[in-house]
Amino acid sequence: MRSHAIAVVLLALALLSGPAHADKMLMTRVPMKADIAIEYLKSAIEEYGYAVAHVQMCDSGMKGFGLESDVYRVVFFGKIDEVRRIVAKHPGFAAYLPLKIAVVAERGETVMSAVNPRTFDAYYPKDREMKIQFGRWRNDILDIFDEVYRAAGGKVARRLPSNTP
Amino acid sequence: MKTTQLLLAGLSLFIAGQALALPDGRALYIQNCNACHQFQGAGGIGLPLNAAKFRDYSDDYLFKTIRNGRPGRIMPAFQEMSDAQVKAIVTFLRKRTDTKPRAYDPSALAGDPTHGRKLFEKHCQRCHGADGQGRGEGTGVTLSRKRAFLVMPPAIANPGFQAAASDRLIQQVIRVGRPQSGMPSFARLGLKDQDTADLVAWIRKLGKRVAKRPRIAPDEPPSHVVESPYDFDTTVANVKQALVGANFRIFPDRYLEQGLTDEFSVNQRQIGIRFCNFNKLYDMLKIEPRLGVVLPCRITIMERANGKVLLVVPNLKVVASWFNNDQLLALWKRMEDTFNDIIDEVTL
Ligand code: HEC
Ligand code: HEC
Repeated sequence: MRSHAIAVVLLALALLSGPAHADKMLMTRVPMKADIAIEYLKSAIEEYGYAVAHVQMCDSGMKGFGLESDVYRVVFFGKIDEVRRIVAKHPGFAAYLPLKIAVVAERGETVMSAVNPRTFDAYYPKDREMKIQFGRWRNDILDIFDEVYRAAGGKVARRLPSNTP
Repeated sequence: MKTTQLLLAGLSLFIAGQALALPDGRALYIQNCNACHQFQGAGGIGLPLNAAKFRDYSDDYLFKTIRNGRPGRIMPAFQEMSDAQVKAIVTFLRKRTDTKPRAYDPSALAGDPTHGRKLFEKHCQRCHGADGQGRGEGTGVTLSRKRAFLVMPPAIANPGFQAAASDRLIQQVIRVGRPQSGMPSFARLGLKDQDTADLVAWIRKLGKRVAKRPRIAPDEPPSHVVESPYDFDTTVANVKQALVGANFRIFPDRYLEQGLTDEFSVNQRQIGIRFCNFNKLYDMLKIEPRLGVVLPCRITIMERANGKVLLVVPNLKVVASWFNNDQLLALWKRMEDTFNDIIDEVTL
């Protein structure tokens, strides 16, 4: 009975925890012009307790080369204590800090993308704290995306199991 | 024992609940597909998903396309979804396009690949590429850049497409074309059913020729950390000099913590040297519009508590693997070499 029970529990956990190759990229499209969307994005980021470190403009420098998007920006954000704690322990992770979200205008809409922080899980298999951190960042980014989507008048459904591996 | 049983009961209830709740196809589409395909199906990084083409597709084709994605062509494989969730998306797309699935005889077509090849070279190659991997830079109808095509011709040799599409579905697409996207109807141009069957035979051959995708070694670290033999300020100066020498434009320095805390508390011994080569960057953005998630290029220099000075750079091999975009990999190699050269030059 006991080993049987453990097997069921293990199976259930395997089913619920999703595959090893979950999405490497988090993305959303909001039906809203990019210059407005980016303002909503910044305030949502702050609402979730992060500071917006700065916004990098890529559009102006690239116009001359044929970029046609009127907005191509990267928003950098983070929490100082998280950044300090992680860089002290894993200096190599500084390459990916602060976190960032790319914002691109497409017609009257806006596409936002970020690397799924859980992509990094595999690189810190022994560090539980990092695993928890990556999961929290991922959830926050998805919630921030939903927030902007809602601001654009979209109805946000409860996230479904496929999105919570 | 009691607790195990309780746990079991709870888990089975939870799983049953998950399985019973009918998945919401519209919500799933918005969360998983909308960013690339757009809500009305106009397309973006992904292809248009419109009524005209949905009339030619079987639900089986749509189901398998979602499940398998297009390996190396940006579209991810949605393997974590349940069958019910994938079906819910298909149902939603049927409703939105107001179309009915087309049924196909699943048996293979008998075609002559040698003749098919001749026809392919004459009619298809200029858009889909001699190897069937798609021509031009990038995918879909991404609007943020100049494009050689109205819609970037998809990779029809791609294993994702090959596994999803039956012979007769492919034949139907060739017959009717995709006039809205620039692909003509080849039935109108005079190709007979035997010609299109021959084309299918050749397209299947192209599918078998696709090379296995490179896999990165599991022990590749996400970033490289190199100790500098020089002090902090000298290291910063050396990095800048090397970047200028390699024709990069350097942005103003930023401390790693800048903007996250007040200017008096910022650690000034952690600095990011940001640089860019707009020309190369633009080439890459045409192929991968999401590249911004790893921009701009940055070398981070930090002095540790023990006085050591470290250079930190992302491992571009690992970064490239996140995009599921094989076109990007070729350009990326050059970037990787430049990064490595600079680190070598600076730490010599
Ligand atoms: C002028 C460019 C052009 C030519 C010529 C052309 N195609 Fe296409 N083809 C496209 C485009 C663009 C699409 C995608 C259209 C869309 O999704 O809206 C496409 C789609 C397809 C598809 C569906 C693939 C998928 O992933 O959905 C097949 C199969 C195909 N073409 C086969 C052919 C064959 C075979 C020929 C030659 C007989 C041919 N095409 C000629 C541009 C072209
Ligand atoms: C990250 C971008 C991206 C996401 C997310 C994405 N796709 Fe795609 N999709 C693509 C690209 C790119 C192609 C075309 C590949 C090519 O050019 O070879 C494609 C192709 C397709 C096709 C084939 C179209 C045709 O005419 O044959 C279908 C169907 C499709 N996607 C449906 C979906 C659905 C449904 C979802 C959500 C579950 C989804 N995609 C999510 C990028 C994406």
